[in-house]
Amino acid sequence: MPDLPPPGRAPLLIGGFAGLIAGVLAGLWRFGWPMPDLVAGAPHGVLMMCAFFGTLISLERAVAVSQAWAYTGPLAGALTSLALIAGAPGLSVALGFLVCGVVLIAASACAQRRHDAVHTRVLTLGAVSWLVGVMLWLWQQTPDAAQWWWLGFLVLTIAGERLELSRLVRVSPTMQRLFVLIIALIVLGLVAASVGHTSVLGGALIALAGWLFKEDIARRNLRARGLPRYIAICLLSGYLWLMAGGTLLLTTPSPGSAGWDSAMHTLTVGFVFAMVFGHAPIILPAVLRVKVPYHSGFYLPLVGLHLSLALRVIGDLGDLFALRAHGAMGNALSIALFVLIMVTTATLARARTPTA
Amino acid sequence: MNPHPAAPDASAIREALRAVQDPEIGMNIVDLGLVYDIAVEGNRVAVRMTMTSPACPMGQMILDDVDEAIARLCPDRERSVELVWSPEWSPALMSESAKAHFGWQDDDA
Repeated sequence: MPDLPPPGRAPLLIGGFAGLIAGVLAGLWRFGWPMPDLVAGAPHGVLMMCAFFGTLISLERAVAVSQAWAYTGPLAGALTSLALIAGAPGLSVALGFLVCGVVLIAASACAQRRHDAVHTRVLTLGAVSWLVGVMLWLWQQTPDAAQWWWLGFLVLTIAGERLELSRLVRVSPTMQRLFVLIIALIVLGLVAASVGHTSVLGGALIALAGWLFKEDIARRNLRARGLPRYIAICLLSGYLWLMAGGTLLLTTPSPGSAGWDSAMHTLTVGFVFAMVFGHAPIILPAVLRVKVPYHSGFYLPLVGLHLSLALRVIGDLGDLFALRAHGAMGNALSIALFVLIMVTTATLARARTPTA
Repeated sequence: MNPHPAAPDASAIREALRAVQDPEIGMNIVDLGLVYDIAVEGNRVAVRMTMTSPACPMGQMILDDVDEAIARLCPDRERSVELVWSPEWSPALMSESAKAHFGWQDDDA
């Protein structure tokens, strides 16, 4: 079956990004920032983890396997994202994400069949983790337990992709076995976190951060210039937040208590969005076939993201609500600035390219 | 008889492909060992290559860059760039300079 041409992929990406915008605004609404009625009380976590990341990663996987059927995953994700924003009932939304998850698993299995290795298996496991989260959400009617499996989806996806590249530095058999052990510990940690015990997951994430610091090609690419160096700095700064998030989970914070907001957002904003910032300049050209030439302005939103997250964590742990709220706003503005820089860079590059 | 006597041979095309980078790794696809085969037959240039992973979404973009690099070198030739998954890529296929960059020792396979 043929691949879907890039113009057909753009609406899927837009559906995912609608989820990002609504999700970020819904998060800010919780801090009391004035927001449009549309996002008042909207499910922040579901919008970010399912509508945005679920759609985005299933689109990325569909592009990788280059099969038309694989795009039904991000199509379901994008449509469901819009339905969720429009206020569709939870059941229909969960069913939409269920379809997206099943196709994501099938596409991941397709990549795994082409090259059966630990890293492709971990990517498939990540997709399964997302579907487990959607099913838990459907069953429990609340995302409380599901959110851990969605977090697991992102962590496993990133871990699988980094393991793939770390082969370049020749990972020893011992370190490979250690990686598999850490992945097993993460899955065990997700089960425990679903029933309120986050310390195993915290320990596993600290171990993963340590493994990545040691084995990832990012450390070597610090000596490179331009885009590879920028990506390396995104990755390594993200691993620091992964370590911090894992440490916070060791204390098993409960929702609403000090440490809870920090634990969730060091992992999702500090770790995951640093990965997004690093990879967007190569994933956007791959998905849309637009060039996003590197320039040093890429560092601006990255620095903003990390500084505002540090403020947010200090505000959370020090029980300073205003500082936490401003930190969250800083996170949102950094993400908005990043999207603006990506769109502007791609548009200017397109205008400069002579048409054939 | 070759209608393009001054046309570049496979080694010249291989050199031209050093301009194509894997942007994530920051290294060219020739040193990474991704280019399996370059055949120049009559008016046709055929390249068979792979990616480091089948889950890599940059595949088609890199194939386009390869096509462009060949077109710059010999615009009059027919071009075919094929993505293959067999044999599987392995880090052992990297050039000596790439292995040295990633810190491989002499006794590493």
